Amino acid sequence: MNRRSENIALGNFPEEIHKRKRIILGELKERTIWFVRLRWLVPPSIAAGAAAARLIGVEFPAGALLVVAAFILAYNAVFYARSRSLEGDQPDQTDYVQKFTYWQVALDYAAMFLLIHFTGGAASPLIFFFIFHIIFASILLRPRSAYGFAALAATGMGAIAAGEKLGWLPHHALVFHGRAINLIEQPFQTLVNMGFFATSVFVTAFSTTAIMSMLRKRIVDLAELSEKLTTLNNKLNSLYIMTQAIVSTQHLEEMLKIVTSELADVMNVQGLSVKLLGEDGKILRYAAAHGLPEGFIKEKIIEVGKSPLNRRIIEGEPFVTGHVTQREMFQFGEDLAAARMQSVLFVPLIVEERVIGILGAYSAHPEEFGRDEVDFFRLAAGLVAIAVENARAYESIESLMRGRSWFMMRVAHNLRAPLAAMISILEVVRSGYQGDLNDEQSEYLRRVDRRARTMLSMINELMTLASDRAETRQIVREPIDLSALTRRIRRTFQDEAAKKGIAFEVSLPDGTPDIMGDFDMVEQMLENLVSNSIKYTPAAGTVSVAFSSVVNGGGRVRIEVRDNGIGIPKEDVPRLFTEFFRSENAKSVEEVGTGLGLAIVKEIVEHHGGRILVESEEGLGTIFVVHLPAAHKEGTNENHCESK
Amino acid sequence: MPSNAEILLVDDDRDIRDSVRIILEKSGYAVRTAANGREALEALKVRLPDLMILDIMMATDTEGFDLAYELKGKADFENLPIILLTSFLDKVRSDGPDKFQHILGEEWPAKWLFEKPVDSKKLLDKIKGILSGG
Repeated sequence: MNRRSENIALGNFPEEIHKRKRIILGELKERTIWFVRLRWLVPPSIAAGAAAARLIGVEFPAGALLVVAAFILAYNAVFYARSRSLEGDQPDQTDYVQKFTYWQVALDYAAMFLLIHFTGGAASPLIFFFIFHIIFASILLRPRSAYGFAALAATGMGAIAAGEKLGWLPHHALVFHGRAINLIEQPFQTLVNMGFFATSVFVTAFSTTAIMSMLRKRIVDLAELSEKLTTLNNKLNSLYIMTQAIVSTQHLEEMLKIVTSELADVMNVQGLSVKLLGEDGKILRYAAAHGLPEGFIKEKIIEVGKSPLNRRIIEGEPFVTGHVTQREMFQFGEDLAAARMQSVLFVPLIVEERVIGILGAYSAHPEEFGRDEVDFFRLAAGLVAIAVENARAYESIESLMRGRSWFMMRVAHNLRAPLAAMISILEVVRSGYQGDLNDEQSEYLRRVDRRARTMLSMINELMTLASDRAETRQIVREPIDLSALTRRIRRTFQDEAAKKGIAFEVSLPDGTPDIMGDFDMVEQMLENLVSNSIKYTPAAGTVSVAFSSVVNGGGRVRIEVRDNGIGIPKEDVPRLFTEFFRSENAKSVEEVGTGLGLAIVKEIVEHHGGRILVESEEGLGTIFVVHLPAAHKEGTNENHCESK
Repeated sequence: MPSNAEILLVDDDRDIRDSVRIILEKSGYAVRTAANGREALEALKVRLPDLMILDIMMATDTEGFDLAYELKGKADFENLPIILLTSFLDKVRSDGPDKFQHILGEEWPAKWLFEKPVDSKKLLDKIKGILSGG
């Protein structure tokens, strides 16, 4: 029994037996229907046999035989009608199928005895047909029934022989060419015949049932194996689903919900929990509780010291099973009993040889967990432990990022407020409201103001970087109206360029497709590039922005920002997009700057799945080329139509 | 240039208060100041100014906003023009939907919003425009 239950995959013993019974019954049903079909051949065979016997000169009551054939035909018709109702796949036909089989065998016996009686009784050659019946009965029915039918055949034949001998039954001897075969006159012969007949039927019953029981065992073994394979397949599937949840869900709570419900499903248990160990190692909190009473997660905190089962896991046991009736083993035994849980299985969640929590399964059956369950559960626990660790790492990084961004914002605000006040006061003084300033005073205050304003723009850039990094702003993806964008860029920079004596051009050819992305971000990217160009281009220079669609570019828009300014030294190009980097010649033009502008540009371009290239020659100028995805691949045509 | 209009300037930063006050006074406006929402309400009760300049972030991140909406809801003050000041123009713009959820759906309470440090010329132009009925 013990060994057996180990072999059974799910350990649900009664159900397993039931399953096997169903397999055998299914077989019986099929064979039964097969015999009904086979029996149709019997009446014509009887008629044919009778005709053949008559032809070779055997005399016997043929009329009686045909009546028996008709009788067989009649009851088989009834069986046939009944058998149709068996062909479906209804579940509880056990008794019906059994009865059906007994009726068939019984009626066949009756027909058989009649045929034998009319063809010479103990001398009838038909008695050998009993062997077939015994074989069929052994195949179809329990061994006991096969022996029962063997006994019935033997005693029936004995009764016919004795009845005919003693004159209780009329004797229909076979007559061949005028000579009757009269075994009845020779009692010894009859006895020997009957004796061998009885032996034959019993040996047949014995050997056939023996073979059948062997075959049946094979069938059951096969069924068991396929059951095991199915279970294994389910388990693999479930591990796969869990892995997927772990990979695709970064939030601990959500991920554990999926994992616990999946595990409960595949293990066929009612409850599943993940408990995580507190930092001091003294308490366990429910991180997930599938199928357990509401509120377990929020309210129940397990003190390891008060719960021996949990304590044993924390102290290093590979698994523990327990029964809810052992109340002293549980801290919340009453709650579990109230939830109709009966047995539990706990295994540790281990990360780097350290127990971080416990995976628990709860079953409504008393003895649910065998070795297979434990093994599988420990495997699953390995996955869950990794998942918990991953999700925790992700969450701590996220909170770190949030913290960093909040900190940057705070710093930026606290830096801006005094700076704004300073600039405001400076303006009052420089405006001469508090008395006139001489030229020198004026000049120095102008410089103070310029430095203060540079600092302000540095703080602004830092703030932008901080908020972009934390991705507090969701990136919008929608078609960007390029004519609006070019209008704004023109307006932003035309005064500044004119003041410096720089020609500033923005060109947007008809038919340029819209860009797919975030208007504000793309505008900021362009602002950074253009303001750089203007800053580092001397008077009488030119700064131009040109949009175009990329030829054969697979739906991309090209933006070129070109200047003939100071250019970028070759050795500085690779570090150009790094935060806080500024090239030497840039410093000589503009002493202060954050070196953040191009880092922001690069980040925005990458956010959009675009590309940025730079080409520069020191002293001749710089070209930045940005490729961004277009809103429609066929947008060229559309825009063309619109512009007409 | 000379005008008898009176402006109430509300900001918790003394230096901003002083510098903006000077600029406004030199431009001919009468200026009263308040350092927080409570003081501002008291000043408003004494006498209704022609215009109020109000800092958004004072003791709390939205104190100025809250005051502006409170005033909009009162019959006595609903026609008082307000100019808001902020150090976080970008933030007010981009965080609007989250941070200022409670005021979404209501009408914007101010005539204009300026980022600090305020360009005095633009501020004066705006005030002039508002007071002349723009």
